[in-house]
Amino acid sequence: MAKIGVFICHCGENIGAKIDCTRLTSAMNDHPGVSVSVEYKYFCSDPGQENVKKAIREHNLTGVVVAACSPRMHEATFRKACAEAGLNPYLCEIANIREQCSWVHTDQDMATEKAIEITRSLIEKVKLNNELQPIEVPVTKRALVIGGGIAGIQAALDIANAGQEVVLVEREPSLGGHMAQLSETFPTLDCSQCIMTPRMVEAAQHPKIRLLTYSEIEQVEGFIGNFKVRIRQKSRYVDMKACTGCGDCIQKCPQKKISDEFDCALGKRPAIYTPFAQAVPNIPVIDKEHCTFFKNGKCKVCQKVCETNAINFEMQDEFLDLEIGAIVVATGFQIQNTAMYGEYGYGKYADVITGLQFERLASASGPTAGKILRPSDGKEPQTIVFIQCAGSRDPSKGVKYCSKICCMYTAKHAMLYAHKVHGGKAHVFYMDIRAAGKGYDEFTRRAIEEDEAAYMRGRVSKVWLENGKLMVRGVDTLLGKPVEIAADMVVLATAITPQPDAREFAKVVGIGCDEYGFYNEAHLKLRPVETATAGIFLAGACQSPKDIPDSVSQASACASKVIGLFSRDQLEREPVIAINNESTCSGCWGCALACPYNAIEKKDILSRSGELIKQVAFINPGLCQGCGTCVTFCRSNSIDLAGFTEKQIFAEVMGL
Amino acid sequence: MSIQEQYRKKAAELLSSGEVKLVIGYGSGSTPDRRRALFARTADDAALFHVDAACDANLSGYLVNEGLLSDKKKIGIFLKPEGIRSVNILAAESQLDPDQIVILGFTEENGTVSGLQGTQASDFTSLMTALKENRTTSEKEQALVDKIEAMTPQERFAFWQAEFEKCIKCYACRQVCPMCYCKRCIVDNNQPQWVHTSSHTLGNFEWNLVRAFHLSGRCVECGGCDRACPVNIPLRLINRRMANEVLDAFDHFSGMNQNQEPVLASFKKDDPETFIL
Repeated sequence: MAKIGVFICHCGENIGAKIDCTRLTSAMNDHPGVSVSVEYKYFCSDPGQENVKKAIREHNLTGVVVAACSPRMHEATFRKACAEAGLNPYLCEIANIREQCSWVHTDQDMATEKAIEITRSLIEKVKLNNELQPIEVPVTKRALVIGGGIAGIQAALDIANAGQEVVLVEREPSLGGHMAQLSETFPTLDCSQCIMTPRMVEAAQHPKIRLLTYSEIEQVEGFIGNFKVRIRQKSRYVDMKACTGCGDCIQKCPQKKISDEFDCALGKRPAIYTPFAQAVPNIPVIDKEHCTFFKNGKCKVCQKVCETNAINFEMQDEFLDLEIGAIVVATGFQIQNTAMYGEYGYGKYADVITGLQFERLASASGPTAGKILRPSDGKEPQTIVFIQCAGSRDPSKGVKYCSKICCMYTAKHAMLYAHKVHGGKAHVFYMDIRAAGKGYDEFTRRAIEEDEAAYMRGRVSKVWLENGKLMVRGVDTLLGKPVEIAADMVVLATAITPQPDAREFAKVVGIGCDEYGFYNEAHLKLRPVETATAGIFLAGACQSPKDIPDSVSQASACASKVIGLFSRDQLEREPVIAINNESTCSGCWGCALACPYNAIEKKDILSRSGELIKQVAFINPGLCQGCGTCVTFCRSNSIDLAGFTEKQIFAEVMGL
Repeated sequence: MSIQEQYRKKAAELLSSGEVKLVIGYGSGSTPDRRRALFARTADDAALFHVDAACDANLSGYLVNEGLLSDKKKIGIFLKPEGIRSVNILAAESQLDPDQIVILGFTEENGTVSGLQGTQASDFTSLMTALKENRTTSEKEQALVDKIEAMTPQERFAFWQAEFEKCIKCYACRQVCPMCYCKRCIVDNNQPQWVHTSSHTLGNFEWNLVRAFHLSGRCVECGGCDRACPVNIPLRLINRRMANEVLDAFDHFSGMNQNQEPVLASFKKDDPETFIL
């Protein structure tokens, strides 16, 4: 005989204001099999949970239904409370009368009726619930960090410093990411490379970190604690063991006119190159697309000058299969192509540049060795116009969101310009100044007050060339006047966008994207570094535009999640898995094809004399994630899902 | 020599040479214009085979009889193009080994029967491609399809409600279908009883909708269910509609080859997602 306890939560006013909880409670008290039905203001609170535990002990309950918020919110809370009172946690079910009832209805009578039906259907289900035991799976204590920018490096170092193995994968030839391209960093103006390169070296030399640069993730299979990852190590055509990084090949390469990606097309590089002088590892790669040998079959100058015979034109991509326990995705961002703003003249006028290009101009490692010079004629610009939100917060042409870092780096640019070009004048067109952060507002004020950047609240409508000057026409909305400035250079604060292949990559790894292609966290507020896929975490700007402090904090948060995961030898998994009825299975293998986790294999059914009678599907409990795809596919209804059996679902439906 | 004579001779040869242990074909039926399945185990039996326009059943369903193919011996079978498609699906769903099946293929057009070249299911690839390109419907059937397509959802529901009202849940449609090979059908599962056994509107809709989904991407439109239905529900129309859906949406023509993946269990990256928000 079922003895069910029903606990009806008011959730303050969230449920209580819309649903007549007293009526719901008494209706449930009259329902067959219900031993006790009580209401309370906040069941998730400590005294609330105590109430549940007390009732379980007093009434010897065989099942619990908590009518409250979504099970996503507090299912775990109440199952834990049940377990503490000695009831198997899987005998506890949540009836969602908040998100699916009180929040969406206005009529109290009807909402109460609906709440009664929802709760009743869960009572019917819980009567058929079975005691389930969690499944234990081993954990591979090796983390994979994808992306070698500041976020990836920080996560890798934190995990490795806790004594765990890390594989750090970067698809470019060197670690560093975007941060290595920056000049000075806000709000302290310390040199980006000075704080970045030691971390790069530390990561490369760390005994617990295996660094794979110029490598990409091909395939990710498996689940938390037990991922199987295939990595493609792209051929550098340079033997990493033999190369000493002397740079002779780079000097002698006859191809010298290739647009330099690291310098944002402001400089040139040869076909065999390291992205920048402080690259880690300091080993060049051959750019196959531009290499004379690969194009014409003749040259091999680099091979001739290499004293250690490190150059190998026969080199092939290699694949590496690794067992991984947790994954940190730190794949970073790209900047939007601003050429679509015809009115700003980017791509048409050489002296209209992006913020990132300005970083390269201002950087000591950049093409001008830190001197701010115009790309067109190499002269020092006497007047610069900075245009903020050149793409961000523009739903019609650019992106809807705020790129977050542009207000700060524009202020920094204006400041650096004032420090480097004395007597120069910086004008900034802005929409709003968003400078929330430690020392941030003080920083922008300093740019305005001490370094005399002229901030104008307004937009720019057009940039055109007239008598060698870039004429910038905009409006100062605070004065209510149109403005025209004759500038020598225009810098656009371009929007941050996801990596162009972010969506495809999300499919490879098995995580979700938002409407723009930024990766989705499990919960924006409460689980900001986890993804919906257990064991995969997010760090840095691949999730949303972020500055360096935010990226680093998130990376450390990821690391703590990974270290926490690795602190146990066994992981407890939900026992919600599919089970196949071998006697009715007809062996069509539709389930095996439909299974997204490759958890279904063939099993031979043999007679006593060892002859094969038939083959049926066997669902590996270690791999099954309980998604239920196979259950819905099976035509003969042979597969059932523990915790959500056909009988339970049927009872739940019939309870409505 | 008529087609019938040729095929009788061919079947006799197959049996006398021992290449096959059994030939499944058509014998005389209860009336002169009807045929029923004939199982020939000797060369003499082969003289009783009929090959004519009255041979309408898709015999492939007999192949999955439990234990029939487990001795790894071959079986000859008379099949029309849709029957060959069924064999392809059964092979794709691991229900039989296509190497064990020797096909005596024939096709019928306007009352005339002609033979098909090839004996293995894989020999008919170009025929399958041609069938996919030129899907045909009889005028009568097309008229009914057009009529139903033109209805409003309410009218269509009323139409099918009236049709399904006739259903007596005899499951003849299931018994005759070569695709219904499950050892236990979902309707025979009474814990829980998802599909009501009684023949009221709800139970009838449940059964026929489940059937439509179980056959989508698998039905080869042999018309067996249509002919078997004792109360003349136009079952073929439902399957036709589902076949059109999977063809339009996923370019899936059931039974194209032995390696075809089930349409509802597989996906391609460029599948249309018009129904997903």
